[in-house]
Amino acid sequence: MNAPVTRPPRPGLLRRLAARLRTIAGLVLHFLHPARFVLAPLLIVLLLAGVLLWLTGGLAYVAPFVYTLF
Amino acid sequence: MARVLGISAHYHDAAAALVVDGEVVAAIQEERLSRIKHDPGLPLAAAFACLQHAGLRPGDLDAVAFYEEPFAKLERVLVHLLRHLPRTWRAFPRALAGQLGSKIWVLDHLSEGLGVARDRVVRFDHHRSHAASALLVSPYERAAVLVVDGVGEAHATTIWDGRGYDLRLLASVDFPHSLGLLYAGLTAYLGFTVNEGEYKVMGLAAWGQPRLREQFARIVRLTGDGAYELDLACFAHMSDADLGFGPALERLLGPRRPPGRPWDFEREDDRHYADVAATLQAVLEDILLALARKARALTGADHLCLAGGVALNALANARLQAEAGFARVFVQPAAGDAGGALGAALLAARERGDPRPAPLRTAALGLPVDADRARDVAGELGLPVRRVDEPAAAVARLVAAGKIVAHARGRFEWGPRALGQRSLLACPRDPATRERMNRLIKEREPFRPFAPAVLSERTGDFFAAGPDDMTPFMTTTARVRDDARERLGAVTHRDGTARLQTVEAARAPELHAVLTELAALGHDPVVLNTSLNGAGEPIVAGAEDALAFWLRHGVDALVVEDLLIERSP
Ligand SMILES: [Fe+2]
Repeated sequence: MNAPVTRPPRPGLLRRLAARLRTIAGLVLHFLHPARFVLAPLLIVLLLAGVLLWLTGGLAYVAPFVYTLF
Repeated sequence: MARVLGISAHYHDAAAALVVDGEVVAAIQEERLSRIKHDPGLPLAAAFACLQHAGLRPGDLDAVAFYEEPFAKLERVLVHLLRHLPRTWRAFPRALAGQLGSKIWVLDHLSEGLGVARDRVVRFDHHRSHAASALLVSPYERAAVLVVDGVGEAHATTIWDGRGYDLRLLASVDFPHSLGLLYAGLTAYLGFTVNEGEYKVMGLAAWGQPRLREQFARIVRLTGDGAYELDLACFAHMSDADLGFGPALERLLGPRRPPGRPWDFEREDDRHYADVAATLQAVLEDILLALARKARALTGADHLCLAGGVALNALANARLQAEAGFARVFVQPAAGDAGGALGAALLAARERGDPRPAPLRTAALGLPVDADRARDVAGELGLPVRRVDEPAAAVARLVAAGKIVAHARGRFEWGPRALGQRSLLACPRDPATRERMNRLIKEREPFRPFAPAVLSERTGDFFAAGPDDMTPFMTTTARVRDDARERLGAVTHRDGTARLQTVEAARAPELHAVLTELAALGHDPVVLNTSLNGAGEPIVAGAEDALAFWLRHGVDALVVEDLLIERSP
C-alpha cells in the first residue's frame, strides 16, 4: 500500500478571504443574469447573512428532507 | 491525459472518485472511512484515500470536479421558499443557514481541504453528473439515459440522449414534482427513516397487494406526455425539511404508521401499510415504464442507462428490462448521489481530452484490506487467528457446513451493495439461516429479503432470467425457478423473486473462487450474500473494522484475505 498522503495546512486568512470574494463575485454574476434579476435585491440581504454565518462558523442541522430545501 | 478527482457531498452519501487518463482508478464513499452511515460531509478522507491508492498527491491533480452547481441550487431554494410563502417562513432561516453557512462555499472548502488551487476546482450539473456516471461506464456506445432522483438543482427527472461521450438533455420534470420525493414521503409515512428505509418499503411491497390505486391516482398521476405530477397538497417537501408528507396524504391513506413499532401482519393496519407499499411500488414502476418508453421514443436507442437514487429500486429495474422495449439496461452500482462524484470526474476528464473509460467491470474500487494489520491487531486481542493456504476452499467448507462467514477480501465495494469483497456469506438453502442472520447481526424487519450470489454460468439453473448488464452489480431482480425454490429457501422473497448477483472471475474473483469451490464440493454454486455490517453501521472497510465486527457480532468465522478466525463451539 502507498504511503498516506499528507494533508495540506489550512491556508492563511488572506488566501481564504480572496477565495470567498471570488465566490461572492461568481454568485453576484449568477444572479445578475436578466432572467434572475428579480432575485438580485434579495441577494444583498443574503450575502450579509452569509458573511455573518461564515464568521460565526455556520449552522449544522440535518433534517430528513434537508436536500430538498437547503 | 488528466488526473481528475470527482466529489459529491453535502446531501447524502458523500463520495470521491479518481479518474486517471480516462480510467476509473478508485471510488470511495466517505461513510466507509468516517464510519458514519450515509455521511454527507465533505469527503476528504475518501479523497485522500483515492489519491493514496493511486500514489498521487493533491498537487498532481489537473482538476477537482464537484457534482452540482451550488448557485443554481441556491436559486431554486430561494425561488421555492419565496413562491410558497407563507408556508415556508419557518423553514426560511434554516434553509438559508444551510446554503449560506456552508453549501455555496463548497468549491472553496474543497480547494482548501485538498490543497488544490481554486481555479482547478470545477463543477457540473447534478443530473448531468448522474447521467455521465451511468452512460460513460456502461457497455453502450449509444443509449437513452434516464435519471430519477429526489432533486438536483431543479430537475427531479431527466431524459438524455447519450452518444459516445456526448449527453444531450431531451426532457425533464422539475421540483417540486419528483418520484424520489414521492418515495421518500411515503417512506416517512410508513414510519421508516428517509434516505435509509427506502429498501424496506421495497421489501414490504411483496407482503401487500396494490389495492390502493384509486387513492394513489390522486397522489401522483401521469400527464399523458410521459411526464408526471404530484398532488402537492399531499406532500410537505416544499416547505418542511422534517416531514415529507402533508395532512392530505393521511386523509387519503389513513394515519401514518408509528415509527419503530414491530411489524405484525396479523394486524389489519399493518396489512394496510403493506398494501400502501405495494401500491406505491406498482405506481412507481408504471411511471418509470412510461418515462422509459418516452426515452425510447425520443432517442430511438436500443439501450437504456439508469441513474439517480430511484435507480436503486431493483424491482423496478427488472420490470424496465422486461417491458420498456430496450434490448439491454445498465445501472451503475452507486446509482445514488455517491455516483455523482464518478460522473463529475468523467465529465471533467472528457473536457481535458481523455478517452471514454472502458465499461465498468467491477465495483471493487475501494481500498484493499490489510491482512498484516489484521494479524497484528488480532494477535494483540488474543484472537485465535491462523493463516490458510486456500481461503476460498476454507470459506466454501464453512458455508457448506451451515456456518455464517464474514468475508473481507480484496478492495471494498463502490455503492451500497456488498458484492463479495465485504460480505456475510451463508448457505442459501434453509430459511432458518435468515432468522439466525437477523438474530445475530442484522436485526432486520421480517419482510426484508436476503440476496443470493450465483456463479454466472450457472444462473439459468436457478433463475428464470440469465445474467445481464445489471446482475453483476445486484441492481435488478429475477424470478427464482420453481424447481430451485426449496434449494434457495433463505434467499427467495415472498413474491418468488431474488435480488441476485451473478459472479464472474473478472468482476469478483474472491467470491467466484468460493462459488467454484462449493461446486467442486458437490454443492449448488450459490451463497446467501449480505453486506458485512451490523444494523445501522456502514459496511466494513479496513482490517480494524472487520475485527470490530467480529467482536460485536456472533458470526461463526471471519476471513481477512488469507487469515481465518473461527468461533470455538
Ligand atoms: Fe441525485
